[in-house]
Amino acid sequence: MSEGHHAVVIPAPGPEFVPHTVAHHFDTPVQEFQSAKLGFWLFLATEILLFGGLFAAYFFYHEAYPETFRLGGQQLDWKLGAVNTTVLLVSSWTMAMGVRSAQTSQKKKTLFYCGLTVLGAVMFLVIKFFEYKAKNDHGLFVFTNMFGGYDQATGQLSWFKDYGGVMAGVPHGHLFFAIYVTMTGIHGIHVLVGAGLIIWIMKGCAKGRFHAGYFLPVDLVGLYWHLVDLIWIFLFPLLYLVP
Amino acid sequence: MGHHHVSSPELFRNVLITLLILTALTVAASRIHFGSANMLIAMAIASIKASLVIAFFMHLKWDTGINKIVFLSAFLFLSLLFVFTLGDQATRRMDHEMHVVKALVDKQWVQPPPLHTGKQ
Repeated sequence: MSEGHHAVVIPAPGPEFVPHTVAHHFDTPVQEFQSAKLGFWLFLATEILLFGGLFAAYFFYHEAYPETFRLGGQQLDWKLGAVNTTVLLVSSWTMAMGVRSAQTSQKKKTLFYCGLTVLGAVMFLVIKFFEYKAKNDHGLFVFTNMFGGYDQATGQLSWFKDYGGVMAGVPHGHLFFAIYVTMTGIHGIHVLVGAGLIIWIMKGCAKGRFHAGYFLPVDLVGLYWHLVDLIWIFLFPLLYLVP
Repeated sequence: MGHHHVSSPELFRNVLITLLILTALTVAASRIHFGSANMLIAMAIASIKASLVIAFFMHLKWDTGINKIVFLSAFLFLSLLFVFTLGDQATRRMDHEMHVVKALVDKQWVQPPPLHTGKQ
C-alpha cells in the first residue's frame, strides 16, 4: 500500500459524463482495467468448460444413439433456429458497436446500440418460447412434469409423453430432448442474464458513467454477450442441422 | 488508459457479413448428405465463425497475451474431455464386434474368450 494513498480519478471528457474514481485497491487506471479484464476472461473460460461438459454429453450420446439424434433433430424447426442464429449474430454486432461507442464517448449511440442488443435478446427468447411450447404440446418435453420420476410399471418418463409417437422407432427417444432442453435452457438463462446486464449498463450509461476514460463495464458485459453468441454458434448446427 | 485500439465500424460490419454468409453456408451444407462428414463440416464452419467472434467482436486479437492464453486454454482442456470421452465411446463396441480379438484368435495367439450372453 503506497504512502499517502489518495484517490485516482479519471476526469469526465464532457459535461454529459461523470468522472470515474479508480477502486482504492488499484494504483492506476491501467491496473484496474487489466485486472478486471483478466478476471473476466477467466470467468469466460469457466463458462466454456460449463457448456463444454454439456457438449461432451451431446457428442457421447449422439455417437451411442445416432438414429435417436437424427430423428430428434428433425423434430426441430431449423428455420427458427437459423432466425435465432441471425438474431444473435446481429446482436453481437450491435453490442460491439455499443462498446465502441462507449470507447469513443458517444453516449447516445451507446444507449442506442445497447438497446438494439436487448431487443435481439428479447426476440431470441420469444422464438425460443414458441419452440418450447411446440415441444410441450407434442409431449416431447412436458414442462409441468419436469421433476416427475420414472414410472417403474409403464416404463414412462413423466416429462416425455410423445403424443405423436414421433420417436417411437428409436431407442431412448427422450434422450435427445433432455439434452436439447437442458442445453438451450441453460443458454437461454444466459441470454436472459445478459439482457439484464445490458439494461444495467444502459442505466449507467444514461448517468454518464461510461466514456473513453472508463468503459470497463460496457466492455465486460459485451464480452459476456459475445460468449452467449459463441455458444449458440455451436448449438445451432449440432441440434438443428447435423441430422 | 492502456487501451490503444478501437475497432472501426467497417471492420465490425465486414465481420458480421462474413458471419451471416458462413451461417448460410452451414445451412446449405447440411442439406447435402456427406454422411459422417456432415458433422465435421458443420463444426469446422462453426469454429471459423467462433474465431471471428473471439478475435474481432471480443477484441482478443489486440488484447494482452495472458488473456489469450487464459481463454484458449479453456478450449485446450475441453479438447481433453472430448478426446477421452469420445475415444471411450468409439472403442466400446469392440467387445461385441471383436475385430481385434477375432484377428488374434484366427492367428491362434489366444483362445476364444467366453461370450458375454448376460446369463449367469
